[in-house]
Amino acid sequence: MTPYEILDMLRGTLSTTGIYNFQWNIVIMWAIGSLFMWLAISKKYEPLLLLPIGFGIFIVNFPLVPLMGVTHGHDQLLRVFYHYGLEWEVIPCVIFLGLGAMTDFGPLIANPKTLLIGAGAQLGVFVTFTGTVLVGFTLKEAASVSIIGGADGPTTIYLTQHLAPQLLGPNALAAYSYMAMVPLIQPPIMRLMTKKNERTIRMKQLRPVSKQEKMLFPLVGAAIIALLVPSVIPLVGMFMFGNLMKESGVVGRLTETAQGSLMNIVTIFLGLSVGATMHADKFLSWKPLFIFSLGIVDFMVCTTGGLLTVRIMNWFLKEKLNPLIGAAGVSAVPMAVRVAQVEGMKYDKTNHLMMHAMGPNLAGLIGSAAAAGMFIAMFD
Amino acid sequence: MKKYVALIFVLLLVFPAYAGSDDFIGAPVIVGVETIVKTDGRFEYKTNKSHDEVLSFYKDALKGEEHIKFRDWAKSTYIEDDAAREWHSITISKGDKGVTVVIVKDNWSWIISTLILRYIAVFCVLLLLYLGMSISGKIISGSINRAAAKKATG
Repeated sequence: MTPYEILDMLRGTLSTTGIYNFQWNIVIMWAIGSLFMWLAISKKYEPLLLLPIGFGIFIVNFPLVPLMGVTHGHDQLLRVFYHYGLEWEVIPCVIFLGLGAMTDFGPLIANPKTLLIGAGAQLGVFVTFTGTVLVGFTLKEAASVSIIGGADGPTTIYLTQHLAPQLLGPNALAAYSYMAMVPLIQPPIMRLMTKKNERTIRMKQLRPVSKQEKMLFPLVGAAIIALLVPSVIPLVGMFMFGNLMKESGVVGRLTETAQGSLMNIVTIFLGLSVGATMHADKFLSWKPLFIFSLGIVDFMVCTTGGLLTVRIMNWFLKEKLNPLIGAAGVSAVPMAVRVAQVEGMKYDKTNHLMMHAMGPNLAGLIGSAAAAGMFIAMFD
Repeated sequence: MKKYVALIFVLLLVFPAYAGSDDFIGAPVIVGVETIVKTDGRFEYKTNKSHDEVLSFYKDALKGEEHIKFRDWAKSTYIEDDAAREWHSITISKGDKGVTVVIVKDNWSWIISTLILRYIAVFCVLLLLYLGMSISGKIISGSINRAAAKKATG
């Protein structure tokens, strides 16, 4: 063997390593991935999602790793999760099934007028849309970015995958990051948008809701949404089915699986797949940065929308609502409910708003799904 | 010499007007059509070609362009841009006596009005859900109360 041949062989071996193909921009992505893992582990910010997303970002940003590409005509590991889970729009719907199986609609059924708060809290979604178009996003991208304010992860992912899959990573990351930051974002707005005497309003105890009513709700809800916003029925339909399983009480094993093991499994796939979409080549541009900065404005306007809706409703209602529950109109289940409870107790230690805030919170979830449906209908 | 320079200058000024005559703010326009209305934001023209011919012209002209959708409506075909092009829509009428094509410039009033409408629509969806829940809740509570009263008297 000549020295040339040996050198060639060495070069050939080296070229199959990551070091040979190293690019500096991936270091930034390692830092971003590590930041989200740190937030999940140390700060406990949405750890169920941010940990797998952070790891997905980290691991996919090594040169030559066979994770998101195609080998011999077959998708590589994370690409399989992404393809069947997200491109096929399966995972968000399965998560909604689990959410439905965990949800008690009692507070919403007992006080259905709080549904309107969920609609009011979508204000930010429509305001942000305008801002996003203004800076040069396409209409589809604008719709997918604006839904972040609805504070509903699966809906954000579902809509983004449908309209602007290239923004899936930044949108999902912004949605889950800001959802974790709801206790920091909302209280100042709640204080700004309400008067002190309003914050101490005591709401009447909610009436007990019968089992029959609870069983009928998913059917009525699914039927109305299917008739009015059919494009979003994969999400809402699964949500209502999960709830029907829970309320019927006859399929305990299925309910347990939907809210436990199944939910956990798809959460792992979801986090890793979302993280894996964020390769340095695609992620490092002005758009994700803009999405992050606009996401917080979106959340703030949505919170304002919820608070304003309660104040407007109070002009017409005999039994006034405590406007603090308006902030729970942004979905962020159950974080926003806790924030309403904590803020309420700051002004009256015996005023428990938890159950009252559950209504707008669930309404926000349905409202953001309805808003997503409006956008899908707009572009399909 | 000055004359030639002036002539070339005039030609250069006039030429783009001819070169651009087959588009309106970036939207393709069939050459040699009868203009009905032409403003900064709207161009309406009539052609003797059939609807299908005009449609295939636009399909060819916009081939490969992203974020453009064709909607087949009862009285027209509506081509809409979902990206950030200068034009927003091209409407091709369906009729026997010539086809009218309307090109509309992208405008904020369209975006704002569609957003307001959709925001109101979210309210309507949840309002109907509210009504549905109230009615079904009343029916169920009524029947439960009646059954309970029957039990108590029986």
